[in-house]
Amino acid sequence: MTRHVRMLGLAALVLAAACDEMTPPEGLPPSLDAQLRRSLQVWNVLPIGAMPQQDPALVALGRALMFDKVLSGNRDIACATCHQPSEHAADGLSLAIGTGGTGLGPSRTLGPGRQFVPRNAPSLLNAGLGVFSVFWDGRISSFGPGPSGFTTPAGTALPSGLPNILAAQAMFPVTNRREMRGEPGDLDVFGNANELAQLGDSQWVEIWQAVMRRLLAIPEYDALFDAAFPGTPTSQLGFQHAATALAAFQMAALTKTGSPFDRYLARDDAALSAEAKRGALLFFGSFGSFGSPGTPARLTPCASCHNGPLLGDRDFANTGAPQLGPGVGAGAPLDLGRGEVVNNAFYRFAFRVTPLRNVELTAPYFHDGVYPTLEAVVRHYSDVVRALAEFDVSQLAPAVRDQYHGDPATLDSIVARLDFRVRTPLNLTDGEVADLVAFLKSLTDPAARDLGALVPTRVPSGLPVQE
Amino acid sequence: MTTSGLRAVRVAVLFCVCSSPASTQVISIRTVPIAQGDQFQIFPSHNLGMGSVSIALADSLLDPFVNPAKGARLGAARFVSAPTVYSLSERAGGGRSLPLAALARAGSWYGGLALALQQVEPSRAPGFDGGRFEAVPLPGGVAPPGIPAPDTRARGNEYLFAMVGKAVPSARLSLGASVLWSGLRALDGVDLLYAGSRRVEQRGHSVDARLGLLKEWANGRSLEGVLLHNRFAATHDVTFVELFWDPVLQRTAERARLEQNADRTNTWGLHLEYELPIGTSGWRVGWLGTANRLSHPKIPNYELANVPVLPRDPGRSSAYNLGIGLSKRRGPATFGVDAIFEPIRSYTWADAATPVTTSAGDTIAAGGKTVENRFRFANALVRMGVSRDVELQGLGKAVGLQLGLVVRSVRYRLAQQDNVQLTQRALETGWFEWTPTWGLSLRFPELEIRYRGRVTHGAGRPAAQSFPVIWGRDVAFAGGSILAAPSGPLNLTDVKTATHQISLSLPLP
Repeated sequence: MTRHVRMLGLAALVLAAACDEMTPPEGLPPSLDAQLRRSLQVWNVLPIGAMPQQDPALVALGRALMFDKVLSGNRDIACATCHQPSEHAADGLSLAIGTGGTGLGPSRTLGPGRQFVPRNAPSLLNAGLGVFSVFWDGRISSFGPGPSGFTTPAGTALPSGLPNILAAQAMFPVTNRREMRGEPGDLDVFGNANELAQLGDSQWVEIWQAVMRRLLAIPEYDALFDAAFPGTPTSQLGFQHAATALAAFQMAALTKTGSPFDRYLARDDAALSAEAKRGALLFFGSFGSFGSPGTPARLTPCASCHNGPLLGDRDFANTGAPQLGPGVGAGAPLDLGRGEVVNNAFYRFAFRVTPLRNVELTAPYFHDGVYPTLEAVVRHYSDVVRALAEFDVSQLAPAVRDQYHGDPATLDSIVARLDFRVRTPLNLTDGEVADLVAFLKSLTDPAARDLGALVPTRVPSGLPVQE
Repeated sequence: MTTSGLRAVRVAVLFCVCSSPASTQVISIRTVPIAQGDQFQIFPSHNLGMGSVSIALADSLLDPFVNPAKGARLGAARFVSAPTVYSLSERAGGGRSLPLAALARAGSWYGGLALALQQVEPSRAPGFDGGRFEAVPLPGGVAPPGIPAPDTRARGNEYLFAMVGKAVPSARLSLGASVLWSGLRALDGVDLLYAGSRRVEQRGHSVDARLGLLKEWANGRSLEGVLLHNRFAATHDVTFVELFWDPVLQRTAERARLEQNADRTNTWGLHLEYELPIGTSGWRVGWLGTANRLSHPKIPNYELANVPVLPRDPGRSSAYNLGIGLSKRRGPATFGVDAIFEPIRSYTWADAATPVTTSAGDTIAAGGKTVENRFRFANALVRMGVSRDVELQGLGKAVGLQLGLVVRSVRYRLAQQDNVQLTQRALETGWFEWTPTWGLSLRFPELEIRYRGRVTHGAGRPAAQSFPVIWGRDVAFAGGSILAAPSGPLNLTDVKTATHQISLSLPLP
């Protein structure tokens, strides 16, 4: 028996020593979903909660205002002209065409003596989710001094009581001469003087008051305002109330977060095709497993800008977009974008990183609509410097081709300030381009494809709704 | 497993929780070295300190609970109790059980009743400091609405056991039947398998019914057989806390998400053991063979899982073991060793909840298989132990000492077919666990008190997550019997499971 005990003790020692050499289970390579969900977590990509029910009276007022040309100085353009339901709350044009123009959507043409709006009209889809900034140069943002709580070009003139940035944004198109207000001396569609255009550009309050006088002169609007803001005397109604209603309408009607990608975020692994998942993994990068340092194995820089719950909106970047249009401010005929607003060389040619849901529906792309397809955009990012140098103007609509600024000095100026995240060519293969496009298309909510039901048959002013 | 702390393993998991490590009648299946508390070490065991050697060495305390036919070996009525505590290192959890059993005999009939009450602490990530899962308060110190606070209470389980049997002395034959009903509100470690969860409410039960047979011959040979059926059903109400973009607050916020998971496994088993003495040398040799057929109508959707289409996976397993054991008694000393080989086949799959388009453009109809996993195990178990009784001269009592070791090797291959992505993956892996055991007995003429202990090394527990795991469905487990599907990383921290049992056996009048 003593021998047995010795043998047992010896065996125990051998096994104990051997255990320290034992190998833990090696892993299966992580599945596509495991990698993708890891990457989504890294980039803080979150599901979107339900949009709260909006006050129906507010929505009704907002819908009427959205489609009513009475808000424009010449009574010839409504908010919805550049944010057409048929064009998914945009206009399908590279550069928007404001007052004086005729037609709708991509067939809209400039009026005599008019210039293009310097930038592309962004889609209003999901604009009510709570973005940090609006407009391509972010000149309106959610954090600001003063009672309004927003930073806007109007400064302290902006009235308080605006509930969200979307309402704050809605205050401004009516003040923009090229978009809606008109030029001094303009006559409206009835041949009457355009009283809005006669006001100075810095007379924010007076412009808003003038618009409200127009609206409240129409009994139907008086009733709509009364229903939307019960208890507020007509004398105290300001354009901020109209803007609030416009925002409510957009939040109720244009929030579209039911895309396959959203279903994937809601834990449905089958919502995305394999192609879209591969594209998403390229977009967000493939990271190591939990607990590892997390160095991306293959990373395109897409998610370094387009991240967070909204897949964008937190940054400005010079992505090397070709310059098109009449230009803005002191930088004209170029458009310095954010650099024009903050007067900082770092932001020259930098534009807002837009959220990407429903991006498939909102062509053309970039701040000046230079690319007509998602594939063209992805190929641009594959090698930005080369794409800029070799930009093909034939992909632009004939009406804007002469607006392209492809001179070497402009190109050099853009490249000199190119965002570091897009400097290195990705050299994407055709397959990778296709995968990325498939992923971008997976961001489309089917309900956003046809917004035709939003167009009212008539508006309170009696002006034509759709030409 | 080494003691290197955090370790990422990407594995598929498949393991049974409702079987004691000592039991060979229900074969444990595991595909990841997850430490399991000794929750099901309920009944007293004489051989626990000898590595739970059992093939060629009788376990006078445990045998009637494993094979009801062995209750025929009862000499007289006895009261038995075996308070048992187990704990996992790194403050990762623990539990305690108090079984009370009475075994009696009347003529050729015998029977027994047992009741066990058990308290299981919530499983915690190793090194848990108690503060990680505090609800994020809103201004004013109010917990976010709808998000429950973590439940830190221990939960109780109950076990009821009944056995009846009849001996046929003329044929040296006995037949018995037993049933063990378990009311379960806490299965050790389950809450850790839902990573990022705030709270897991478990409720379920299992029924283990056995028919046993024991045939003994005059020359010391014996043959025993057990036919068993085990039904396990549990439901897990899991509360996750997840981040989302709140359009109302226009910022990231937390919300509770409730998910109910069902865990169902049914097992049929047949177990045979044959042993005989080798001459008059005191040596005995035994063989065993076991076949288990497990069906898993419903596998829980563990949050560590990562399977396309949010699977509600079924599966099935066939588990076998073949073993040989040797023992020798020489006066007051006993030696025993068992060697068991366990080939296991398991097949699990993920059902498509809705039609799924594959990467080739085909469609898998709802109910079709999106992922298929085929496991092939070649596990081995070696148990050995010695004991020595020492008479305390003049005191009328004896002291018994036990020492043992259990070594378990798990090795398996997994072939995974993803019918959606049209990919195949393979994994071949394994690990060792080793369990030193010990025991001390004090034997008086009228009663016997035994202490048994063991510590299992080589397994780990999922580490704490430093943030809510929203997408971390990286490792799939499965089973109810827990069954698994693939794949992804899992952080395991090494923990040791220590078990201490004091058993008391008193003759009843």
